[in-house]
Amino acid sequence: MADKAVTIRTRKFMTNRLLSRKQFIIDVLHPGRPNVSKVELKEKLASLYEVKDPNTIFVFKFRTHFGGGKSTGFGLIYDSVENAKKYEPKYRLIRNGLDTKVEKSRKQLKERKNRAKKIRGVKKTKASDAAKGGKKK
Amino acid sequence: MMEETKNLDLDRSIKKEAPQLAALLKEMKGVLDTVTSKVQALTAKVKANDFPTAGGISYLEAKHLLLLNYCQSLVYYSLRKAKGLSIEKHPVVQSLIEIRLFLEKIRPIDQKMEYQVQKLTRDIGRAAEQLNLKEKESEATEKSEDLLKYHPNPEMLVSRSDMMAEDGNAVYRPPKIAPTLMEEDKMSKQERNALRREKETQRRAKEGYMKDLIDDLEGRPEEVRENVGNESREFIRYQQQWEERAQREEELFTRAPVTKMEKKKEKHLKKSRDGLLALTDGFFDEIKTLPLEGDTGDQTKNFNNGSSATGRLKKRKRRY
Repeated sequence: MADKAVTIRTRKFMTNRLLSRKQFIIDVLHPGRPNVSKVELKEKLASLYEVKDPNTIFVFKFRTHFGGGKSTGFGLIYDSVENAKKYEPKYRLIRNGLDTKVEKSRKQLKERKNRAKKIRGVKKTKASDAAKGGKKK
Repeated sequence: MMEETKNLDLDRSIKKEAPQLAALLKEMKGVLDTVTSKVQALTAKVKANDFPTAGGISYLEAKHLLLLNYCQSLVYYSLRKAKGLSIEKHPVVQSLIEIRLFLEKIRPIDQKMEYQVQKLTRDIGRAAEQLNLKEKESEATEKSEDLLKYHPNPEMLVSRSDMMAEDGNAVYRPPKIAPTLMEEDKMSKQERNALRREKETQRRAKEGYMKDLIDDLEGRPEEVRENVGNESREFIRYQQQWEERAQREEELFTRAPVTKMEKKKEKHLKKSRDGLLALTDGFFDEIKTLPLEGDTGDQTKNFNNGSSATGRLKKRKRRY
C-alpha cells in the first residue's frame, strides 16, 4: 500500500550528550493503513536526519491512537554502532540485528539446576553433567 | 673608624639599591631578638624543672620537631643564597619541600585533634595546680586521673524534652522529635466538603434536571447533548485520562505498562456497536412499573437490577 502517504513528525527532540544519542518522539500519520513497520520508519528517519548507518536508529514503543490513522512512539539515533552496543538493552539490539539471541533450552537449564542442587562445594558440574548424561542415556 | 665608615657606606649603598631589603632585614633582626629572649627564658625555666616535659602528647612533639627542622633548613637555604652559592640539586631543597608537605598534610589532623588537645592541656594544668597545692596526697593523683578521663559521658546528654524546658519565657517550642512539614495550604475536611458542595450545585445548574427547568422558565431553547457511545461521560473521561497519561509518558520517555483491568475497560469502551450502546441502559427500570400480563395488582416484581457488571458501572453515590 505504498500509495497511502505516510507522514512522520518528530517532537521533543533532544541531544543526549551523556549517552551520545539523539532522542525524540515520533508521530506517524498513516490514514487508511493499519500500521507502519519499524523497518520503513527507520528508512524514513535515515533520509530525514541524514544518518549514514541505519543500524544506529532504534524505534520502539509505538501505540496507535483510537480510531487509527495515527501512532506515537519513541526514537533514538546513536552516534555510532559502538555506542549503540554499549547503551542499548539487549532485546533492542537483537531486533536491529546487532546481536544474536542465545537459544537456551529452558528444560535443559532447569535440569542442570536440579542436578547442581545435589552437589555441594566446588561444583564440577560440567564433569558431572557429562557423567550423568551418559548414565541417563 | 674605618670599619664604621665602611659600614656606613655599605648601608647607604644598600639603601639606595634595595630599600625594601634593608627594612626587611631590620624587621627580621628585631623578631629574632625577641624570639631568642623568649627561648632563653623558657630554657631557664625548664632547667629549673618547673615544666615536666617527659611523656607529653607525642603528636605535638612530632609537630614541633618538624617545625624546628623546617626552620633550620630555611635558615641554611637563605644563608646559601646570601653567600651566592648555588642551591641546585642540594639536598636542602628537597628536605624543605618534604617537610612542607608533611606540615600541610598534618593540618586537617590538627583540626580533628583540637578538642582532645584542649581538654588535655586544660586538665593537666588543673591537675598540676592541685598537685602543687596538696602535695603527697594520693587523692590528688586520683582526682587528676578522674579529670583525665575521656570516655563519653552519657549523663551529660540533654534529652529532647529538656531542651524545651530551657525556653521558659512563655514561647512554646514544640519538641523536635520527628521531622514534619508545615502545610499551610491544606484544607480541613469541612472546607473540602464545602468546596465539593459548591461545585456540585454549580454543575447541577449547568446540566441535568435543574438546567432544564431554568431554561424553561427563562424561555431559552432546549439543549440536546448526546450522551451515548463516543460522547458518553465515561468515554470522555477515559479519553482525558489517557491523554494525560500519554503526556506524562512523553515527558519521561518511557511507557507505563497497561494492566489487565485497564485493558478490559479499554475493550469495553471501544466496542462501537454503532451508537446503540446506551439503548438498554435503563430497560429494567422502565418496565418494572408497567402492569404485565398474569400479574396481580398488588405484587410488584422485584427484578434484580442488573448484574454486578452494571453495578460497577453505576455512578458513585454523592454524599456531601
